[in-house]
Formats: sequence, structure tokens, C-alpha cells
Amino acid sequence: MFHWLEKNPFFFAVGVFLVIAFAGLVEILPNFAEASRPVTGLRPYTVLELAGKEVYKKDNCIACHSQLIRPFKSETDRYGEYSLSGEYAYDRPFLWGSKRTGPDLHRVGNYRTTEWHENHMWQPNSVVPGSIMPAYKHQFTNVADIETAYAEAVTVKNIFKTPYGDDIKAGKKAWEAYRPKVLAEARKIASQMKNKDVKDMVKAGKVPEVVALIAYLNSLGAKRYNAKK
Amino acid sequence: MGIRELQGYATFFMTIVFVVILYGYIVYLYRSEKKGEKDYEKLGNIALDDEITSTPINSSNSILDEKKGEK
Amino acid sequence: MQSNAALEYDYTIAKLYTYTAILFGFIGMLIGTLIASQLAFPELNYLFGEYGTFSRLRPLHTNVVIYGFTVSGIFATFYYLSQRVLKVSMAESKIAMTAGKIQFVLYVIAATGMVISELMGYTQSKEYAQMEWPLDLLIVVIWVLWGVIMFALIGIRREKALYISMWYFIATFLGVAMLYLFNNMAVPTYFTSGGLGSIMHSVSMYSGTNDALVQWWWGHNAVAFVFTVPIVGMIYYFLPKESGQSVYSYKLSLLSFWGLMFVYLWAGSHHLLYSTVPDWMQTMGSVFSVVLILPSWGSAINMLLTMKGEWNQLTDNPLIKFMVLASTFYMLSTLEGPIQAIKSVNAIAHFTDWIPGHVHDGVLGWVAFMIMSGLFHMAPRMFKREIYSKKLIEAQFWIQTTAVVLYFTSMWIAGITQGMMWRAVDEYGNLMYSFIDTVTVLHPYYAIRALSGVLFVTGFVMFAYNMIKTMTSAKELTEEPQFRTPMA
Repeated sequence: MFHWLEKNPFFFAVGVFLVIAFAGLVEILPNFAEASRPVTGLRPYTVLELAGKEVYKKDNCIACHSQLIRPFKSETDRYGEYSLSGEYAYDRPFLWGSKRTGPDLHRVGNYRTTEWHENHMWQPNSVVPGSIMPAYKHQFTNVADIETAYAEAVTVKNIFKTPYGDDIKAGKKAWEAYRPKVLAEARKIASQMKNKDVKDMVKAGKVPEVVALIAYLNSLGAKRYNAKK
Repeated sequence: MGIRELQGYATFFMTIVFVVILYGYIVYLYRSEKKGEKDYEKLGNIALDDEITSTPINSSNSILDEKKGEK
Repeated sequence: MQSNAALEYDYTIAKLYTYTAILFGFIGMLIGTLIASQLAFPELNYLFGEYGTFSRLRPLHTNVVIYGFTVSGIFATFYYLSQRVLKVSMAESKIAMTAGKIQFVLYVIAATGMVISELMGYTQSKEYAQMEWPLDLLIVVIWVLWGVIMFALIGIRREKALYISMWYFIATFLGVAMLYLFNNMAVPTYFTSGGLGSIMHSVSMYSGTNDALVQWWWGHNAVAFVFTVPIVGMIYYFLPKESGQSVYSYKLSLLSFWGLMFVYLWAGSHHLLYSTVPDWMQTMGSVFSVVLILPSWGSAINMLLTMKGEWNQLTDNPLIKFMVLASTFYMLSTLEGPIQAIKSVNAIAHFTDWIPGHVHDGVLGWVAFMIMSGLFHMAPRMFKREIYSKKLIEAQFWIQTTAVVLYFTSMWIAGITQGMMWRAVDEYGNLMYSFIDTVTVLHPYYAIRALSGVLFVTGFVMFAYNMIKTMTSAKELTEEPQFRTPMA
């Protein structure tokens, strides 16, 4: 048997492939069905929050911030309840991160406000003296891509059966009809902010990145599943 | 929980199987060398004597050489 | 195939990838040094507006050093040594040659696309798999072409036995193909929403915990199949060839190969021991997993033993220095990894700077050293000139070794300090430190790391300069050196 494997590169390759594929199969597959079930009462992200998640990805907050609270007392004291698998059911991709240069954000919506985030994104040092986080002033002028966020909502609704309402449908027309809802949500957040450019932009029907991002950050934690019970 | 259990058993048995295969291979390597069927250590020279014109360490029966044989 | 024209190895493709390895190595390490400095001196975040922040540049650093530098290094060494151990020239196979050229062009396009799209912020936000779907598709093509070339050369080989290095490259090809495909499964939203939004955007096929499982299955094993398997393949060729010593034990090398294949993907198997399975089985499973590790350690020991009786070469050949130190760092980081995987250690180490520290003693000390010494070994044979300066290599060696030591020692201390401070409580059980305390305390270690980055890049510039001089103006060689690489 071994002689045969050594002699023939093709069977050798098949052998290697089986060995490495099997390990993955046993390690990953059995957890699949179980891990994808959402916790009770969890709602999917709104379109504005999805757009905020894109800002989170684009400016790559994941490089320094985790979204995974481990079941240790020191972590639950610092960040709140430990994270449950079902809380991530609508997270595509998962944004657990692997490095905490800054603190965990999985429940940041429970203890930070829109005003705090606004100050923090403009100048981190102003609210956290000694912070080494860069300021993200460009988020106050860049426009968030809410159309792509809507496209994502449509996709996860149709393909992965994420429970969105009937008003989220494919096509330009449906999007035009839906757009005002996103803007209304953005106006609500902008009304709690003080930056003039942001207010002007929202008035003109555009959503600055920072507004979407704050919507997303506020949704992290209890607000996304206690409210709708 | 059925699938979890299955996973546990599969892990256990595959680990054993891999250990047996791997250690079986060790036995095979030494035995075939003792019997004189193979000389693995000379394969190490493939890296040292790697001119395109030098004779293959493990003489080849690849298509190229068969053609040469016909000539 | 004709024997009338003198048959020669064809290094066209190997040379092309040598150039990209040097280029991307420099860019990637420069960005790495910049972001390391940003952590110590945050003002550096504002050099290039929104494109210059730590967060935007960090994936660019990892991707350029992995897919730019390391993968170029893998391809360059593969196209060099596969011909030699198979005793077949690439010029003999039209398919291989054409596929090689196409592959290189596509590779340059993909790498450029990667840099631009990531600077612009298009990302899947999965670590080491940030590239969006159009680039993913391109990479699949590049990889398939590699497979075509590999098996085309194997098909017409004169040396019937596959040398151990080839085993490792075949495993790299298969492993990365499988892992990459599964991890990057995503649905482009533009096509499923009736043409809305950005065409670049996609959503992952997996959600939450499942996504994490697949991602870290990839994350862990990408390290295996990009940073370990092909590099082991390199050292099995370059160290014996450079030193003139054949591998200490070829049998051991075969065993370590299978050992590595069996163990690496099972490294996470301790997660699998669940309570419903009888206890004795769980224990037995763990014990046997440990038994499997023994053969996987064979490679590094095998390499060191290859030098048996020839240790004088270590003092007078700088390339041997690089390679021996590389295998030593390999042993160090493969020991460190499992230690970090122990549950109680992981509780402290996870999320801290110990993890980048661990990664970098592997990638700087093992991967980069091995690729650079491999390219140094190849240069005189590809360009028919001796190495431009031995003194420069010696200096480079010491500068970069100092850099690696500074890097991992500072990050060990930083990581453990941080991990301990996060969990420190006072006599009443309250947390002792606010988060920002655990950040400011790290400043000196971040500064040391930035210094180490500067040193490593300096060493890399010396490498690049030496290579370019070797290609263009060093003394010409009349015939190919057999073992030791000639240097002025």
C-alpha cells in the first residue's frame, strides 16, 4: 500500500487531500446547524445599521476591536454579559476580531451614546485621554453607501431567509420606495449630533458615514433584541 | 446531541487510525530497506546532484526515457 | 525534448517572481513598520488622510507580505527547484511555460488589484481573506494554473522519485485550494438584488459562529500551508544543496511530512472533546494527538542534524547562518503556538500583543529568512554572476536577527502585561485598571517594536540592494557553482 502511494504522484495527492479534508469535515460540519440559530427575539440589522457595518468593515475597526466577550469575570465586569452564539446569527461576516488594541465592542450600545461616539470619532483624545486611536474625521464628510446596504438586506432575505419585512424587495423601484425610511432613521441620529456638516448632509438626503456607523454601534448589545419582544 | 457524539467518536477513531497508519509506515520504511527492496537514503542525493544532464537517482521509466530506449 | 540542443533549466518565471518578491517584501515590511510606529506615535496616522490610518493599512500589511512577498517567494523557489529535483526543464513543456507566463501576468494584476481595492476599503473583513469576490476568482485561476504547471512538469519528469520538497509543494497546492475556496464562499449582492449598489460587495455564505469556524479553519491552516509547508519544502532543498550535505535522514523527512499533514489540521481537535463521549476516549484521543506531534517535529531536527560535522560552515557561510537560524525559529514558534493553545494560557494571551509577537517570530525568523536565503542561493545560478557582497549579507544577518529578537521579546512582555492587567482585581474584587491604562502602559514596548521594524526593513533594503547588484554588476561566473554560493 505504501509503495503504491510513493510511486504515483496522483494517488499521493489524493491521499494528502483526504487527510486534510477529513480533519476539516469532522471539526467544522457538526457545529454548523446548531450555531446558526438566532437567540429569541433577535431582530436583523436595519438597512442603516448594515450601512454602518460596512463603514465598520471599510475603516477596519476589527483591526483593534473585538466583538466577543469571553465568559470570565474580568470580561463580564468590564463589557457586560458574555456573548452567545445565537447573537451572531445575522452577522455576515462575523466580526469577532482577534486583537484588542482597543476595548471590546460587542455591547457598546448599552453604555455609549450618540454624542459620545460623535466626539470620539472626531477626536478620540477628547473623551479618552491617552487614546492611541486615530481620528476618523473623513467619516463626517464621506457618504455612506446605503444602496449597497439595501442590496445586502435583499440578498440575505432572499437567499438566507433572514426575517426582513415585505418592503425589502429586489429592484430599483422597491429601493426608491424604501429609501425614505433609511433617511428618517438617519435624521433621528443626526438630530442628536452637533456637527453642522453632518446635519446639512442629512437634510440634503445624504447619509454621512459617521451617522451609519453610530447607528450600527448603538445596535450592538441589548437594543437589538430586547426591544421587540 | 447525536451529531456531537458522532463527532467525538469519529475524532477518536480517526486519530487511532492515523496513528496506526503513521507508525505502520515507519515499520514499512525500515523493513523494506532491510529487505533491500528500497534505499531511501540515496534519494537525498536528488537535491545534491540536480544537473539536468546527470543520471536520475531513481532510474526513470517516464515517457521520455522510453522514447530514448526506442532509439 | 531534442538532445541536439544543450538542454538547460529555464528560469524565466523564477526570475520574474524573484523581482516581485523583492518589491512586495519591501512594500509590505515598510507598511508594517509604519503601522507599528503608529501604535507608538499616533500622529503618524494622518500622513495620507483616510488611507493612512492604522486600521486601513493593517490588512494591507498582512496581505502584501503574505500574498505579495511570501507567495512570490514560494513561486520563485518552486519554479527554480522543481525543475532541478525533477530533472526537467520548463522549456521542455510548452504548456508549463505558457501557463507560467499567464500566471505571472494574472498574479501582478491580482496583487495590484489587492493593494488598490484594500486601500479604498473594499474588504470582506475576514482576516487574510480580505479580498473581495472578483479578486478571489482571479486567485482561483492563478492557483489552478500553478497546479497545471506542477503536474505538467511531474508528468514529464526524468527523476522518477519525487524529492521531499515536491511533496511539500503538492500539499501546499491542495491545502490552500481547499481552504481558500471554502472560506471565500460569498454571494455578490449586486446580482441578487436586481442591480443595486456596488458590484464589489458580497455577503458571506456563513453567518456568525459558523463564519468564525470556517474563517479560523482557514486562518489557522493558511498559516500551515503558506507559512510552514512550502517553507519546509524550501529548506529541504536549499540547506542540503548549499552545504553539500544530503539530508540527515530521508526516512525521517518522509515521516515528518505525514506527521505534519496529520497533525496540523487536527491542531484544533481539543475543541472537539465533548462531554457526551466517554471520558476514557477523550483522554485517549488527546494522548494520541500528542503521539502524532512527535513525527511532525522531525523536520527541524532533521535539518540541524544535516549540518552534523559541518558546523564550521556556519561561521564562514552566511547563507547557512540564515537557514540554521530559520529552522531554530521554526522550532521556537511551533513550540510557542501549542503553548498558547493551552486553555489557561490562551485566556491571558488571546487578544493581546503576544499573538502578533508569536506570528512574527515565525514569519520574520523563519519565513522571511528562508525565502531570502533561498533567493540568495538561486541568484548566482539564475543570473550567472556571483553574489555582490558577502559583507553586506553578514551585516544584514545580524541586523535582522537583532530585529526579530527585539520584536518577540517586546511583544511577549507587552502581551502578558496587558493580559494580566485586564484581569487584575483589587481586594474587593473590582477591576483595578480601566482599559486605557492597559494601552498607555504599552508605549515603550510599541516603541521597541517600531525600532525592530526599522531594523528589519533596513536589513531588507540591504538584501534588495545586494540582489539588484548581483543581477546587474557582480562578477560573472563561467560555470554554475555546485554547492556553496560564491560571493565577493
